[in-house]
Amino acid sequence: MRAAPYAFISPFYILFAVFMVVPIGGAIYLSLTVWSGIGSPTWAGFANYIRLFGDGSFYTAGINTLIYVLISVLVVVPLSLLVAQALNVRGLKFRDFWRVTYFVPMIVSPIVVALIFGLLYDQQFGLINVAIQSVIGAPKVDWLGDPTLAKVSVGILVVWRWTGYLSIFFLAGLQAVPRELYEAADLDGAGPWRKFLSVTLPTLRPVTAFVVVTVLVGSAQIFDEPFLLTQGGPGNATLSVVMFIYRAAFQEQQFGYASAAAVLLFAVVFVMGRIGASIAGVGRHA
Amino acid sequence: MKKRNPPTFARIILYVVLIVLVAVCVGPMVWALSASFKDPGDIFQYPPKLLPSPATTANYASLLSTQPFIGWLLTSLIVAILSSAISAFVCSLAGYAFAMFAFRGKEALFSLMFSSLAVPFVVVAVPLFVMLSRAGLTNAYFVLIVPWVAPAFGIFMMRQFAEQSVPPDLIEAARIDGCGELRTFWTIVFPLLRPGAGALAVWAFVNSYNSFLWPLIAVSSPSNFTLPLGLQALYGAQNHQYNLVMAGAILATIPALIIFIALRRQLLEGLSAGSVKG
Repeated sequence: MRAAPYAFISPFYILFAVFMVVPIGGAIYLSLTVWSGIGSPTWAGFANYIRLFGDGSFYTAGINTLIYVLISVLVVVPLSLLVAQALNVRGLKFRDFWRVTYFVPMIVSPIVVALIFGLLYDQQFGLINVAIQSVIGAPKVDWLGDPTLAKVSVGILVVWRWTGYLSIFFLAGLQAVPRELYEAADLDGAGPWRKFLSVTLPTLRPVTAFVVVTVLVGSAQIFDEPFLLTQGGPGNATLSVVMFIYRAAFQEQQFGYASAAAVLLFAVVFVMGRIGASIAGVGRHA
Repeated sequence: MKKRNPPTFARIILYVVLIVLVAVCVGPMVWALSASFKDPGDIFQYPPKLLPSPATTANYASLLSTQPFIGWLLTSLIVAILSSAISAFVCSLAGYAFAMFAFRGKEALFSLMFSSLAVPFVVVAVPLFVMLSRAGLTNAYFVLIVPWVAPAFGIFMMRQFAEQSVPPDLIEAARIDGCGELRTFWTIVFPLLRPGAGALAVWAFVNSYNSFLWPLIAVSSPSNFTLPLGLQALYGAQNHQYNLVMAGAILATIPALIIFIALRRQLLEGLSAGSVKG
């Protein structure tokens, strides 16, 4: 009986050790070497890290990733809370239908999304430009070719994919808010905005924390959308850190250099994730 | 105390917004569905037509006859089904153990497991690729399935679920009757966990079925391509066969969509349960 719980949780820890702890150690070791994948790695000390700090495209990738993270936290999270609020309106018809439909973008594979949006964004023939032109008569927009707009286009993809998914969590949180709290606020003469600030938001704290941490950790690792939609371009305008790492490792065979960037990303994401989780108390064993 | 519904005007606005959102969410897919039945020359027709005329299934026929699409689909399905079934089992076991047992080191082990959620995948990907290819473990099914069958998120979710749905007395009673732990799990606990495990299975299926970065790194031989890799290759080909790409995009989406729709309630409830309690 004593051994049972350990046996039950052991598959996770075995896989965790082999497929996570060992590789992380490997990444730290490789980050201190120069290695093209052939022969043995050559010790290089901190040379890769020093090189990273002087690498303009790594800098660009970092800024771009920060932009994606900000879009996710400042646009996707509030939007999904808004959608959840709308779905939580009392007496709403077809609630399940809306909920399920808004989840669909998350079910569609990123490659399929990128293929379809790539055609929709097309400057000449894409439906988006055709619609803009016929409705407001504005000239055609180069969605994927302009450095700033390309980031916006990737951002739109992120918003499209994640908003409905995250609203599920907020909706569950909203449904768990005790109705008496609102009734008490009504008696105190609180308006809708006041009720949102002093009843809804505080009660939603655990859910918000969960959502924000999920989004932070997820968007800091963005790869599929910029890789598939814009190949990081034009130039490096949409390059993300994970794309930078992928390119360094698997297209340029600089495994040491790629690992150094990965270790830096790991440090930043891990610290961010842990701080976020501990502030909010997510994952504490109740 | 009965509350009035909001005024009708606000209601109408609300439903209009909800309908617009439906259009935004499924519109691109509907457009792709329509494009997949268009004549290759008509996809970029100006002004664009909503419905294909003439409608043709030639894109599908040509996709299936000129590309190893069925092979990609089978690889993806086998990988996703095995990953999802094994994940559901492994996470149920672990989630149950964390929810219902007291044991030494539980807090520390749980928080170690939980913090693994904040490890970016790419930091593992590069060395793991090196390790696996050095060890000669290049079998596509092995590399695509085995490392990912115990997702921490799944264990977290199943722990919440077990806390809510397994009565401790029932476990006690089974123990007093001399029922072994594994048998207790299989005959008493697992049936109670089944809705949660179903939710997790859908989640794991979709994750595996849609995953792109790891297959891109780990699978090099076109004969082992999964759907996302195959579609990417098709799209990246010099002559951009958009008509085939659209047909492939539609066909590739169908399995995940069917599974999602069939188990939507379980999935949404399961995901919700995990987050509210935090």
